[in-house]
Amino acid sequence: MFLDPRGILLFGANALLLYLTMLINSALVGWSIYLLMLGPMLVFPALYLPHKSYFICTLLTGLWVDAALPSGFGLFTFGFLFAGAFIFQMRIRFRAECNYHPIFLAHGVNFFCILLLTLAMGATFINNLGFCLQVFVTSLASHLALLIVAPWFFNFERMLFVLCRLDSEPEDLPIR
Amino acid sequence: MAKLRLDRIKPLVALCAFLIAWWIIPTTVKSFLKASFSEFQAPAWVATSYLNDLENFWARRSHSKVELIEAGREVARAKSLYQFNSQRKETLENEIQRLEAILNLPSRREFRYEVARVVRRDLNAWWQQIVIRKGKDFDIPAGAAVVFSGGVVGRVVEVGAFTSRVELVTSPNFRMAANFEGDERPVVYQGLPQSGFGDPLGAVHDAPQDVVASTQRPLKLLSTRLGGTFPPGLMIGRVSWLEPGNTGIFQAGEVELDARLLSLHEVAVLIPLYPIDLQDDVP
Repeated sequence: MFLDPRGILLFGANALLLYLTMLINSALVGWSIYLLMLGPMLVFPALYLPHKSYFICTLLTGLWVDAALPSGFGLFTFGFLFAGAFIFQMRIRFRAECNYHPIFLAHGVNFFCILLLTLAMGATFINNLGFCLQVFVTSLASHLALLIVAPWFFNFERMLFVLCRLDSEPEDLPIR
Repeated sequence: MAKLRLDRIKPLVALCAFLIAWWIIPTTVKSFLKASFSEFQAPAWVATSYLNDLENFWARRSHSKVELIEAGREVARAKSLYQFNSQRKETLENEIQRLEAILNLPSRREFRYEVARVVRRDLNAWWQQIVIRKGKDFDIPAGAAVVFSGGVVGRVVEVGAFTSRVELVTSPNFRMAANFEGDERPVVYQGLPQSGFGDPLGAVHDAPQDVVASTQRPLKLLSTRLGGTFPPGLMIGRVSWLEPGNTGIFQAGEVELDARLLSLHEVAVLIPLYPIDLQDDVP
């Protein structure tokens, strides 16, 4: 098959996570809290899928995020493929069947996304105290929220695999 | 062995290939991709907005008859006041037109108001934007001014088929010509990165030296017709202090903006009766 069907499921789950995050952000505006939770989107495609499917899923996710957010078009597409390439290369070292390693990766990728966004969109305001303060609050809130959201999201993705009767094992297990 | 090594660098090779392809792809293709993905997502947001309206409708249905009668009375009072104001406005407009005809003044830019619901708010350190539920379907042009009962909201930066993205007045990328109340000399207003704590702030530059602002008597910063996008006299914010700017010739200071900007539900887009030329209109 040209594309692993799990890639389509993972892309759909990523779109859902982005939609829910933006819905929450829209409601939290009065409290000046913003959640950036892009990290979990990248983890399962890089850990579970064969390379071609991983690449297409990550590319589509990146384009989807780029279209939804007012950042420069291509920023997250590039960022996701960049971070994904490193995770994919080292994926044999991670245990995808438990949540510990994926959560750790999700936090890492999320931090990378915040850093990327700050450098791309706010490099000129890096000396501004208000800007730094808000980036710090956003990072803190996002990573705290990720502690709850990431395990839910990974379990949700595994549940989708089971419901659709798809292989729930990663592609490159060392025992294969 | 060689095959194994090639397998290991496959993601990096794909990344490099993507970068080269992205660099080669013409901008029109990228714009098409962005528009396609955006339009694909728009219906979900529009549907969410309609569901919110439905939720509010059902919430209001649970109000008692006494509450509804009281609300009806308040609406009737407000309606009679607005009817009176409308008549007065018409009389004043006729008077202005008569005087303009006598003095041979150039015609002013006329606008029509398109009221739109706010679908989504994206306010953070990196951007300050909202998405409204009207787009090309209501002839919303890019660059149009957006206002609310408290004054200036921002400017339309992107128009989709059914939604539009508005850059808020709080955004550091937002810049417009302004003037202080009772002083026709132009100054420059610009948004600032927001700290997220306290009311939203902006900055004013190029204020003349003789303008004095204090916390006891803050100055009102209003829109001016100089930029062409906004009608004159719309409230931007209040300035409580001014200090010498970088050049020493002009003054600069912080502008306290309306706190309601962070929780907008409905805004009005000012659509010019003749098209906007972005090159000429941006100050």
